[in-house]
Amino acid sequence: MKLLIDGAVCMGHGRCYSAMPDLLTYDEEGFPTVRDELLALPDDRVAAAEEVAATCPEEAISLIDE
Amino acid sequence: MTEMATPQQAPQRDVGGCPVMHRDFAPPGPAGCYWDLAKELRDGSPVYFNTFAQGYWIFTRHDAVKDIYKTPDLFSSESFTPWDPEPIYRFVPTQIDAPDHIKYRRILNPWFSPRSIDGAEDDLRALCRGLVEEVAAKGSTDFVAEFALRFPTEGFLRVIGIPPQDADLFVPWVEDFFAGFGGDPAGQERMTAALGGIQAYWAAALEERRGEAEPRPGDLASHLLHATFEERPLTDAEMLDMLTVLVLAGLDTTRAELGYMFRHLAEHPEQRRRLIEEPELIPLAVEEVLRFYTIIFGDGRKVTRDVQFHGVDLKQGEMVYGLVSAANRDPDHWERGEEFVLDRRRNNHMGFANGPHRCLGMHLARREMVLAVQEWLRVIPDFHIDGDEPLTERGGGSMMTLLKLPLAWEVAS
Repeated sequence: MKLLIDGAVCMGHGRCYSAMPDLLTYDEEGFPTVRDELLALPDDRVAAAEEVAATCPEEAISLIDE
Repeated sequence: MTEMATPQQAPQRDVGGCPVMHRDFAPPGPAGCYWDLAKELRDGSPVYFNTFAQGYWIFTRHDAVKDIYKTPDLFSSESFTPWDPEPIYRFVPTQIDAPDHIKYRRILNPWFSPRSIDGAEDDLRALCRGLVEEVAAKGSTDFVAEFALRFPTEGFLRVIGIPPQDADLFVPWVEDFFAGFGGDPAGQERMTAALGGIQAYWAAALEERRGEAEPRPGDLASHLLHATFEERPLTDAEMLDMLTVLVLAGLDTTRAELGYMFRHLAEHPEQRRRLIEEPELIPLAVEEVLRFYTIIFGDGRKVTRDVQFHGVDLKQGEMVYGLVSAANRDPDHWERGEEFVLDRRRNNHMGFANGPHRCLGMHLARREMVLAVQEWLRVIPDFHIDGDEPLTERGGGSMMTLLKLPLAWEVAS
C-alpha cells in the first residue's frame, strides 16, 4: 500500500505529519515534504494511514493499492 | 454619513421558494446559543436568504460550506462579512484572491510554520506556566481576562518579535474592532478608531526599522521591509494591511477557543481526569474543541459570476455565508456530530477554514491550546465554574467568544 498527497489540494493543515511523524515531515512553510509522489507504507502502518487520510481537512490524501 | 449603496434591495430579490429570514447575528446571548441556532438553521433548511443588511444567502450543510471554501474562483474573499460587502478594511492576504494571494501567503507562512512554532515552544511553555502559577495560588480567576486573553496575546507577540508589554495596547484595540465587525452599526465608530490605532502602531514600528541594512532576526515587521512581491518591495499599505490582520486574528481567536475548552473541562471532570491519565489524548481533544466549539459561526464570500449552486441561482456580487459552525456538526458528515468525543479520530473539521485561506496561525493556535491544557492540569487538576451567573458569548457575526469565565478551585493551605 502507498500513500499519495495531492500537492494541488494540500493546504498545509499539518494533520498528516502530526499523526505520522515516523513517515511524514514538514517543510519551511508547514507543508508535508512528500507531495505528488508515492510513499511506500510498511504493513503495520496501513491502518494508521487510512485514519490520516480520513483526517485531512482538504481530502488531499489517498491510499493506492499496488 | 453617506447612505450605504444597496445594489440588490433584499426584499425585492426573488429567491424562488427558499426560506427567508431577517436576522442580525451581532447580538450577544447565553453561552452556546449560536451553536443551538446553527443546529436549528441546519435542521430547518440547507439554504436561506437573510434580508438583513443588503441581503445574503446562508448555506447550513457541510457539503455546501466545503464547496464554498474549495471553489475560490466562484467565491471571492474580497469580503468575508456578508452583511458588509465593501468593508472599510483590507486584510492581506485574507481578502486577496488568486493569483496574488499565494504570493503574500508565502511571505508569511514560514513565520507561522510548525518549525517556527517548535522554535518558540520553550518560551511559550514558560509564558503559559508563569501565568498558570500566578493565578493558581488565588483559588479563583476570570479565566478569560487573566489567562485566555493574556497567553495568546503575549505568545503571538513573541512569535513576531514585538515586546510583550505592548499587549496592553493591542488588547483594547482588538476588543473595539470586534464591537463593529459583526454587523452592529453602533460598533462602527469603535471599529474605525481601533483600526486607526493598530495602523498607527505599525506605521511607527515600520518607520523605526526602515533603512536598516539587514532584517532584525525574529522581527516580522523588519522582515516585511526586506520582503519582495514579484521582485518589488512591499508597499507601506501592503505591510500595514498584513500586520493589522495578524493582530486581529492572532489575539482574538485563540482566546475564544481557550474559553470554550476550559468551560468544557470545568463541566466534565471525568474527561479532565482522562487527559491527566492519558496526556497523549490532549492533541485529539484540542481538535475536537476546534470542531465542536467552532468559533466561526459562518464565513462570508462574494459571488464572482452568476451560477447555480446547491439548488439556488446566485448572482454576481451577491454575498454568501457558509455556516461553518453548523457544518462541523452536520450529521450527514459526522458520526455523533452533536456530541463532544474527547478522543475523536478521523476529525477532518473546518475549524481553521478550508481551501487556500485556511488559517495562517493554526499551528500556533493549536500548540497554545495543547500547552494550556498541559500546564493548567499539571498545577490545577480540579476546577469548576465559580458561581451561578449565566455565561454569555459575543455574537456569531464577530466569532463567538465567552465574555467571562469565572473558575474556582481548592488551594492547599
